[in-house]
Amino acid sequence: MSANMTSCRAIQPDLVAAATGDASPTAVTRVQQHVDTCAPCRQEMDRYRSIDRIVGDIRRTPIAGDRADVLRGDLEWRLAELRRRAVTARVWSSPLGPILIARSDEGVVAVEYLESARGAAASRLLRRHGIEIIEDGTDTEAFYQQILEYLAGNRTRLAWPLDFRLAGSDFQREVLRATAALPYGAVVSYAHLAREIGRPTATRAVAQALRHNPLPIVVPCHRVVGSSGALTGYAGNKLALKEQLLTLEGVPVAHARREGHIVRDAMYVRADHDTEYCVPTCGSLSTLPLWRLTLFSARERAEAAGLAPCTSCRPDLHPISA
Amino acid sequence: MGQDPFEAVMAAHHAEIYRYLRRVTFRSAEAEDLSQETFLRAFRAYRALPPDANVRAWLFAIATNLFRNSLRSAKRRRAAHDVVRTAPRRDGEGPEGAALFNEARVTVEAVIEQLPAKQRAAFVLRKVHELPYEEIAESLACSVDSARAHVFQAFRKIRSSLDDRQLPSAEVSA
Repeated sequence: MSANMTSCRAIQPDLVAAATGDASPTAVTRVQQHVDTCAPCRQEMDRYRSIDRIVGDIRRTPIAGDRADVLRGDLEWRLAELRRRAVTARVWSSPLGPILIARSDEGVVAVEYLESARGAAASRLLRRHGIEIIEDGTDTEAFYQQILEYLAGNRTRLAWPLDFRLAGSDFQREVLRATAALPYGAVVSYAHLAREIGRPTATRAVAQALRHNPLPIVVPCHRVVGSSGALTGYAGNKLALKEQLLTLEGVPVAHARREGHIVRDAMYVRADHDTEYCVPTCGSLSTLPLWRLTLFSARERAEAAGLAPCTSCRPDLHPISA
Repeated sequence: MGQDPFEAVMAAHHAEIYRYLRRVTFRSAEAEDLSQETFLRAFRAYRALPPDANVRAWLFAIATNLFRNSLRSAKRRRAAHDVVRTAPRRDGEGPEGAALFNEARVTVEAVIEQLPAKQRAAFVLRKVHELPYEEIAESLACSVDSARAHVFQAFRKIRSSLDDRQLPSAEVSA
């Protein structure tokens, strides 16, 4: 550098940029003026020009053993594989807390209660099943809106296409299908459901299958209770949610010894596969075990399920008094 | 989930990202792994990308992050890898000029390999892939001025490593 070292130092970034084709026109002019009067900087600039040419040579030299084509083929295969396993998912806020909704091309794969709204990656359910998560809510926003309507009491049906890929077995898939068919405002027991799917001795297995229901709310496992009418269990330890969902559908829930149970005497009843529904005091209904019954929170619910009022107890004329 | 244009993104940018990673890692196996990982990550996040996003800069950013992370863990592991260098190729020059040039080029590449991650990435993005500084800044999550400073520092280090060695003059290979 020359005597005017300060100005040489100050101009150095511009000088390097000018020598390597990276400077603005004004910077180039400034550098030019400087090197016209400063021989050492002129030499420096030449050196940087030479370096830039070497770098240009590196740029133009093809990479040795370039495997981009092979790798892209491999990547396409891996992405196709990923797509098969992938679901889109988003965590939404709801009156029940953060809820994740995930779906595939076939339908809704999972509904999951989460502790926090941190994002779909926090889903333990999807991770446990090795499901590839693509964070996106465009495919599930409509379902989310329907859940909000349902939770506000403004919707009684969630007719979603379902994808049971998270079912651990054919048995669980069968239990989930049977549960999905339970109408709004209805309650049955695990034992009832076991008989419905032709496995009358599998009550505990049915309860287990529903304990691991990957699609709560839309597969309404909250409508299934113990043989005594006790709420028994829900989504791990979320019994309060079960009660909340039942209450929403008008199902009366009482508490005895700190355990919630449905109030059978305050619900309309269908015995076995009758085409009629009754008041709970009709005939010998009150002596039948719960596994033989489907209970309804209201007459409209029974009628919405296609049942007619019983011609002897006439629930349409003599409804259960509140 | 509908038709995904991600294949088009891959077709347009995969080779470039792979070559970028080859040039910053200097290790072919690592560059292969990182380039595949870049696109697997991009695939997962692609739907969340705003429609007006600069996909190329975004991919370079993912690749750069992966490269920097791998550098950090490599420092811990100190694993031995095969170092693959691009073969110097010169033509149209006298043997003496060519020898000088090749020698200088080997030195330049060695300096690039030793640059800190951000300087190395900025330098390769600018001088090899010719990204605008705005996109380099985006890829490195730094300001445009910092991106320029990284490239400047890289040049200075190359310059000082060549010391007073004779370089092929500007006119020879111009």
